[in-house]
Amino acid sequence: MQEERLVTVFSEAARAVGAKVESVSGVEGVVDYVKQLATGPVMVPHFASSERLKLAAAIKKAGVVLVQDDLRQGAAIAAVGVTGANFAFAATGTVVLESTAEDIRLATTLPEHHVVLLDPAKILVDDLAAVPHLRTFHQNSSRNYLAYITGPSRTADIERVLTIGVHGPKELHILLFSGLSDDPLEM
Amino acid sequence: MSKVRAKEYQLRIDHALATPKLQDALHKFGDAFLLAREKAFSQYDFEALRQEIAASKDEVAAHRQQYLEQFIANAEAAGATVYLAKTAADANSYIAELAKSRGVKLAAKSKSMASEETHLNHALESAGVEALETDLGEWIIQLAGQRPSHMVMPAIHMFKEEVAELFSKVTGIQEPAEIAHLVQVAREQLRQGYLDADMGITGANIAVAETGGIALITNEGNARLVSTLPKIHVALLGVEKIVPTLEDAATIIRTLPKNATGQLLTSYVTWIRGAVPCGDGEKELHLVLLDNGRSALAESPQCRDALRCIKCGPCANVCPVYQTVGGHVFGHVYIGAIGIILTAFFHGLDNAAEIVRACIGCRACVTVCPSNIDLENIILSLRETIGHEEGIGVGKSIVFRKVMRNRKLFHSLIRAASLLQKPVTGGHRTIRHLPLFFSSLTEWRTLPAIAEKSLRDQWQKIPQKLEKPRYKVALFGGCANDFLYPELGIDLIKVMNKLNVEVSYPLEQNCCGVPALYSGDKETAIALAEQNIAAMLKDDPDFVITTCPTCTMALQRDFVEFLKDNPVWAAKAEHLAEITVDAAGFIVNQLGAAEVFKGISAAEKVTYHDSCHLKRGAGVWKEPRELLTTSGRELVEMDHADRCCGFGGSYSLTSHPDISKQILGDKIKDIEKSGATCVAMDCPGCMLQLRGGLEKQGVEVRAMHTVQLLAESLE
Ligand code: SF4
Ligand code: SF4
Repeated sequence: MQEERLVTVFSEAARAVGAKVESVSGVEGVVDYVKQLATGPVMVPHFASSERLKLAAAIKKAGVVLVQDDLRQGAAIAAVGVTGANFAFAATGTVVLESTAEDIRLATTLPEHHVVLLDPAKILVDDLAAVPHLRTFHQNSSRNYLAYITGPSRTADIERVLTIGVHGPKELHILLFSGLSDDPLEM
Repeated sequence: MSKVRAKEYQLRIDHALATPKLQDALHKFGDAFLLAREKAFSQYDFEALRQEIAASKDEVAAHRQQYLEQFIANAEAAGATVYLAKTAADANSYIAELAKSRGVKLAAKSKSMASEETHLNHALESAGVEALETDLGEWIIQLAGQRPSHMVMPAIHMFKEEVAELFSKVTGIQEPAEIAHLVQVAREQLRQGYLDADMGITGANIAVAETGGIALITNEGNARLVSTLPKIHVALLGVEKIVPTLEDAATIIRTLPKNATGQLLTSYVTWIRGAVPCGDGEKELHLVLLDNGRSALAESPQCRDALRCIKCGPCANVCPVYQTVGGHVFGHVYIGAIGIILTAFFHGLDNAAEIVRACIGCRACVTVCPSNIDLENIILSLRETIGHEEGIGVGKSIVFRKVMRNRKLFHSLIRAASLLQKPVTGGHRTIRHLPLFFSSLTEWRTLPAIAEKSLRDQWQKIPQKLEKPRYKVALFGGCANDFLYPELGIDLIKVMNKLNVEVSYPLEQNCCGVPALYSGDKETAIALAEQNIAAMLKDDPDFVITTCPTCTMALQRDFVEFLKDNPVWAAKAEHLAEITVDAAGFIVNQLGAAEVFKGISAAEKVTYHDSCHLKRGAGVWKEPRELLTTSGRELVEMDHADRCCGFGGSYSLTSHPDISKQILGDKIKDIEKSGATCVAMDCPGCMLQLRGGLEKQGVEVRAMHTVQLLAESLE
């Protein structure tokens, strides 16, 4: 019940800032979704839940070109970056990504589309509920790069007109995937 | 005072006033911002958040060294190199040297006000390093060769056509002036820069002592690219960005976006601790902690609260002066209310001297500040400092010191109107600095004549036949009530008598001192405070009633502040503050007597103008409205009812008449639009300004004090 409510609030808040939120089931659902966005190569960095799903292999099998070596140049021309999320918070529709590994950062900054897999069980109430997890991240490793992502990249720097997609991803797609991972410390 | 500086400043004002398109944009921005902000905070307790932010910043301020050391130790443990830069030049040369020694050719920058503060780009260029601004707004002004005119939206003063011109020069083709297209052009043009840059430079919104990490609150995504792609990451941040814990950081993160742009949260919040992986190795991370005047600011008891600032920007958005002239006039590198203060400490008093006087004192900025900084008060104290440093002008100085402190001389000068037309002291044309000399500058506002018979000369003859008065109160009239609008004092007596309250008018009362204080002469203000306390408490009244909210604030707040360490006066000042109350507040709150006026008036359509000092100083705004509606009037709210009318005493007379005139123009439009036939208010200063403006423009709307309207209905 609580989870349903959080999913609703999360989805509304994320959509309000321009993110797309869809439910998918199984790895096929993810592959289908990514495939229709893939007007160019797709980058799937390493993260725990994708390793379990063998996601990269499944996407490749569907006939999509993957970015594999020279990640920097590859990410710059990739159409889609696919990552998980460690957790999310509902109040603002935010996904949280532990992005210390560089490939996660490349996949979430350079491609035009960022697809995020999120287990709805990992949606917290708000930013304050996120702080204990932040602290755990900091305790577990001495260096880190953590990202709150709320909707696609945006600017209002010309005449205060809101415009989407300036330097970061132009589109943020959040795929709700039950049973993916219930550990907020893993992606 | 530097004549050249003043002249250049005036030219900037003239230029800004001649750009109505900018004014229009900033006015609309101010309105839209307030709506978005209100919506963003609808589920949150802004007051609680601002207390929390202020408390965490104050905690760090009280233990600066401890938190600084903690932050540095944690950052270094995570592989960062920390450099403490005493001055802007130190910071620049550290970064430029670093760039040179690493063979950096191109440095990609995300937005950093600290780097604007130090003029880092110049330093890099002198070292042969190209600095590329990647924040859209910063890039635009870099191309234009300008400085930001707003802390959050650096290019807010520019229009899409100008941006298209700038971008066309970069691309070599004529770019259409369509915003979505221009954003795409920036995306494409800057993309390669991130990949080519050997160094990335960012600012930081927060530094967390607990972790040694920094947090960046951004929307565009360029800071993430800048901090990811190049091998070297330099973050330049002011030492005041340090907060103790992740919880403190979280509070700032939940507040800043809502207060800056009305967003619940920005697109990105990026937490970076230490040297993270980069390519095959690890990032070279340098944290440059900038002092550059911050320690001096921390040492100033009057100003140090300014270090709480989280650089969210709305103190400018809501400021009528900013809306009128923009950030290139009302600011230096930092702009608006906070800009005045930071400029004084970071860029020197000289750069702050003109803008410190450009604040009209309306306190709109104070209400939106999430760090609970009393910006207006700090600006006032800086004005005093500059008054000391530069002098406040010979004319003013003589008037305040020699004339106003001597009540008898002052009042006899006012009475002797003929004398007022001539120089009075030492051949200087001091008259125009007298708070009541209004003969010049009438082309946009008519001005009232000094009354033939002042209130002090009449009041004894006004019969008050109360058998058993409920209270005995003393009226503090203030100069305007006394010498310009004595009829207001007479009306007050009529209203009070109706409520069975007897009024006295202590003759030894003098000017409340605010004109001197606002001009930077605190000494005179203190001398006047003492005179007034003695005069008002002499007959031990139950209450002291005011009709002017500026005087109210002087009696309720300033006198106490001035004299708190003075054993002779402190307790008396406190007592006076306790018993001082404005007329409307007195009737509604102390007497609970609004009903006495029930239905006595015809159903006139009245709109209400909130005086800055009454609403944002004394916290009174419901009371006069209650009196007006109870009396049977129809209250129609105007837009921006609590926006300043532009009076500000000598602000409108001598220091910034042209800005005052614009602000008045805005107010008159709002009054007209309301459709009311009368605008009510509770301040003789506002009344002077609004009556003058309405009359000059031939608008048939009466401008009346609430007390006058009550008295009028009693007749
Ligand atoms: S007090 Fe009013 S005029 Fe002065 S800076 Fe604040 S908002 Fe602007
Ligand atoms: S002074 Fe207050 S409102 Fe202005 S930028 Fe600083 S924190 Fe924001």
